[in-house]
Amino acid sequence: MEYPFWDLQIGYGILIAGIAVLHVFISHFAIGGGLFLVINERAARKTGDAHRLVFLQRLSKLFALVTLVTGALTGVGIWFCIGLLSPAAVAVLIHNFVWMWATEWTFFVVEIMAAILYFYGWKHMAPADHMKIGWIYFWAAWLSLFVINGIITFMLTPAAWLVTGRLWNGFFNPTFWPSLIMRTGVCVMLAGLYALLVAAGLKPGESKARIVRQTAWWGLCGLAIALPSLYWYWKAIPAAVTAAAIQGLPTPIAALHLSYWFAGIVAALLVLFGLIAPGKLRVPVALVLMAMGLGWFGSFEWFREAVRKPYIIVGYMYGNGIEVADADRYRKEGYLSAISYRSGDDGADLFRHACRSCHAMTGYKALKPAFDGVDRPFIAAIIKGAHLLKGNMPPFLGTASEADAIAAHIETGLDRRHISAIYGLQGVALGQTIFEIRCGRCHPMGGRGDKTTSLTGLTREDYSNLLDNAADMGVGMPAFTGDKIEREALIDYFMTLKAGGGK
Amino acid sequence: MAATVTLGVAPLLFLQLVYPLQMYPASIVSAWFFLLIIPAVILVYYLLYAAAFCLKGGKPAGTGWLWPALLGLLYVSLVYSSVFSMAEHPDLIRQLYARGQGGFQWNPAAGDYAFRWLHMVLGALTVGGFFAGVLGAKDAGIFSAGKKIFAYGMAAAGAAGLAYLLSLGDLLGPLMRSRAIWALTVGVVLSLGSLHLYFKRRFLLAGVALFASLLLMVITRHELRLLVLQGTFDPAAWRVAPQWAAFLIFLVSFAVAAVLVVYMLRLFFSFSGSDPENAI
Ligand code: HEC
Ligand code: HEC
Repeated sequence: MEYPFWDLQIGYGILIAGIAVLHVFISHFAIGGGLFLVINERAARKTGDAHRLVFLQRLSKLFALVTLVTGALTGVGIWFCIGLLSPAAVAVLIHNFVWMWATEWTFFVVEIMAAILYFYGWKHMAPADHMKIGWIYFWAAWLSLFVINGIITFMLTPAAWLVTGRLWNGFFNPTFWPSLIMRTGVCVMLAGLYALLVAAGLKPGESKARIVRQTAWWGLCGLAIALPSLYWYWKAIPAAVTAAAIQGLPTPIAALHLSYWFAGIVAALLVLFGLIAPGKLRVPVALVLMAMGLGWFGSFEWFREAVRKPYIIVGYMYGNGIEVADADRYRKEGYLSAISYRSGDDGADLFRHACRSCHAMTGYKALKPAFDGVDRPFIAAIIKGAHLLKGNMPPFLGTASEADAIAAHIETGLDRRHISAIYGLQGVALGQTIFEIRCGRCHPMGGRGDKTTSLTGLTREDYSNLLDNAADMGVGMPAFTGDKIEREALIDYFMTLKAGGGK
Repeated sequence: MAATVTLGVAPLLFLQLVYPLQMYPASIVSAWFFLLIIPAVILVYYLLYAAAFCLKGGKPAGTGWLWPALLGLLYVSLVYSSVFSMAEHPDLIRQLYARGQGGFQWNPAAGDYAFRWLHMVLGALTVGGFFAGVLGAKDAGIFSAGKKIFAYGMAAAGAAGLAYLLSLGDLLGPLMRSRAIWALTVGVVLSLGSLHLYFKRRFLLAGVALFASLLLMVITRHELRLLVLQGTFDPAAWRVAPQWAAFLIFLVSFAVAAVLVVYMLRLFFSFSGSDPENAI
């Protein structure tokens, strides 16, 4: 509210996700890759394996080019983006963790210096010194993960910090250790997968098979570390958060399930092409392997971002930047007086601050399809009952007249024809659509508060009475404001419902 | 280059800590321009890389890459100047935001930042000349070119700085009565001293003086920012709970980092004399 809202046409999530995913992949690779390089360098030097040294040099070139430049710049890019998109949350993070960030920055400086010297030092340095630099690189990189891990996990499980406000409570929070170990495993796995990509391009022969096999073990070990700690991570999230997610958030749970598939495919490919037939590994297979590995890690990150809905900092700040502690003040005074930067259109400003950080009218998580063809009082009722909707949305804390102003603003972007014309439906089919739009958002089929199983066996008259008294059915349940055609169609639909399950 | 970007992030972090209510709104109003800094820097990096690559291969065409790279850097510094200057004028931010919320607003009050921007660009050029001369001190041609850039750059930067001061108008009086005047005076004297030492080829001392003068300029700038924001904001009132343990960790890690960097450089150069000029 203290910050202006950047009205970005593309979805907020998409912009952040684009840069963040790139950065996360590169930065984890940067850590695991460092470890991979020094450990392999040591082994190769011990056994005098010249092929392997050449391979490592080649790998370190890719490594330096990709990680240093893109890694550093996408890191700064995220920093810029989150500042533009969620300034309130970033301000809280900086305020609490400024010295941790400053510490991370010193690790960064060492990391970059070491990476440059390691890359240029292959021919210029004594082997022992070169490896020392490699180790310095790895530890600096890993320590920077250590620090940022504390800040990222804080957002999901701030736990005791919420009460004490103490830095260390927030930093070493319940998901800190599982997340750190899991990410370390991911680093190792990604290093193995990237290295396989380079190894796949080697000339076929005995040395290639050997290098591929050694490298495949990295991928498998990484997975073996990451998967159990993912389970531990899940267990460390408070039961209330996970239970709410399972009930109301199909997206992150689907992401988590997707990640199991990716992990399984990675493991299978690694065993097949890494251990059983290492000579057969070709670049396309290595590319698929890499894509699957990134898919696995990417769906985890997606899960992590989505599971904390409706919060951005669980228990402290909602996804739209509104602090939980301010709830009572907003309930009394409303949002409008707290919005510092105004555009002149109050409805639009309210919409931006209450909804826009997660929804656009069209495109990403669009609101237009959810509201096309309905009336303004219904939209206002949905806004006031936002916390009751599926999807774990933040509550609307403003006043009733502010909800009306938002509804009026939303209405300007809607299709104003009759709902039967918009969908081209009639009778039971129209009734079902109306149920989905007017009831199903709060009573989703098969989800919490499903009414399609209990709303059965009544007469048309009973149903009509029920709709007349809808507003009295529960706190937050809106009155039925549809016209006669809608009412008849909805009742037609109710008449088809059978006791005990669905339609 | 990557190192430069990383080093450059630190001041931004602290500006955002102390002035969140100014910094974020200004950058949000100009969001697209601000965000374009990232691709611009990436582009500049690869252009410089290409230029270095060509020059190493002995192709003079390399300089062709330098012009667009220079443009990119000018863009970045211009956006910074305009956004930071906007951050000092909350009312201006409000007006611009009312005009458009899409992040396409450019700070129109060029008078506020044109000279400051010029001052900084010329200052950067001056420092660049300084280093070029030091690195090429053994080569008479390079040294005299570096010397020229350093001297003329400093004169031009000084002129732009003076113009900026004069453009402050009403603020000039209060500024002259604040602590800033001391920082500014000593800073100017140190700059001139650095020039003198440089001509005498006492590079280390010249470098120290130059660095100290830059530091004093930053202090002056800070005082000026406080003056401009007076009434709307006072960072001293913005309480940051002291986190001594974390601060200590930072200090220790900073010291360790400094030691490690020196240690690594010694490892690197002790074995051979080759220079890492084309650093990534
Ligand atoms: C913190 C993010 C967030 C905010 C803020 C938010 N929502 Fe949502 N909203 C969601 C999520 C997540 C869903 C579930 C979407 C899904 O299932 O894909 C959702 C679903 C919805 C749906 C149901 C859409 C459908 O197709 O099922 C409506 C309607 C809706 N929101 C309206 C609003 C309104 C109006 C506001 C502002 C008062 C708002 N939301 C604010 C995150 C948010
Ligand atoms: C904004 C959210 C919301 C919408 C939209 C909504 N309801 Fe409800 N409804 C509730 C809440 C909250 C309750 C009370 C808690 C409960 O029983 O789940 C409730 C209760 C009910 C009940 C009483 C349940 C009982 O067991 O006593 C019925 C029946 C019902 N709703 C039907 C409907 C129908 C039909 C529609 C569409 C016309 C609808 N609801 C739309 C939120 C909503």
